[in-house]
Amino acid sequence: MISKVKLVLALAGLAFAFGLQAPAYAQDSMHQQDNMKHEDGMQQQDGMKHEDGMQQDNMKHEAMPQENNGKAVETGTFHGKVHSTSGRATIYRAENGKLVLRLTNFKTSNGPDVHVILIAAKDADDDANFLKSNTKRVELGKLKGNEGDQNYEIPSGTDLGKFQTVSIYCERFNANFGAAALEKF
Amino acid sequence: MSAHSSFMFSHRKWVVAASLPVLAAAWWAFRPEKLWINQRVNEPAPFAASSDPQPLYTGRLQGEAHQTSGRATVYKAPDGAEYLRLSDLSTSNGPDVHVVLSRSEDANLQQEIVKGQLDRIELGALKGNQGDQNYDVPASVDLRRYDAVVIYCERFHAVFGVAKLEQF
Repeated sequence: MISKVKLVLALAGLAFAFGLQAPAYAQDSMHQQDNMKHEDGMQQQDGMKHEDGMQQDNMKHEAMPQENNGKAVETGTFHGKVHSTSGRATIYRAENGKLVLRLTNFKTSNGPDVHVILIAAKDADDDANFLKSNTKRVELGKLKGNEGDQNYEIPSGTDLGKFQTVSIYCERFNANFGAAALEKF
Repeated sequence: MSAHSSFMFSHRKWVVAASLPVLAAAWWAFRPEKLWINQRVNEPAPFAASSDPQPLYTGRLQGEAHQTSGRATVYKAPDGAEYLRLSDLSTSNGPDVHVVLSRSEDANLQQEIVKGQLDRIELGALKGNQGDQNYDVPASVDLRRYDAVVIYCERFHAVFGVAKLEQF
């Protein structure tokens, strides 16, 4: 009897510890570049996305000295009321054709499993659910921080004529935190 | 009596034990602490372009009376001078058309023809009604106050197009 109780408590403890990994990740992200590999080891849920993160990180270190001729090609401002979201989204194109999304003066609410995505739409309602509406999307990675300037690599071959809106999207609850319709810069 | 209380005791223990994973799962799903924990990042720009003029403010030009489209962007040059660049501009040609800065909350800008006096800062006569063009912005201008670029016909006080400048 007591051993059963102990077993249940142990399981509960395990579940709790499993949950705790995520906040450790959340607080580390200020030193994102240094900790990227470390985080990868800790996070088992979405190894796929983290591979992307790794590439992105490597890309930044290599790219910075060489590609000093990036040009802004599209820009837009964020709107979002339920989870108040503001700031600017700009897509830069490097000389070699590589596309990077940069968020500036950015602010949104923190939340679980929030991602940056491009969606195939002109704009998105503040309460949009892209799963329900079957909206096509391009995953750019986990939101690095709910405040501040940040960059995301856009997969090569992404058609910006089709994917015209940036969305800050909570994958767990399929909730759009905020969206920015991109227009030619 | 004692049998009953021991049953109650273990029962309560079971309830507590069973609710712990449920609570943990609910906490994991909703992560309520994130409501007050911020995650601030500050990445540098992807391309080091410090030698190029940097965009400060930008906005889309819109106009109803005279179809106007394009983008207005204020750049800061490395030497500190600021200039306005109109790109992809298309507006109607007209007499005595100027590029001016005004305040976006000015009710005059809602009208096609300004009745009173438009509070404005002159940047120069419109160089062309189509195409990319640059205008110097006087150093004394506070762009947070004069946050609207207006294509303005001085002769008929007509607002051809307005761009509300937003921080880049």
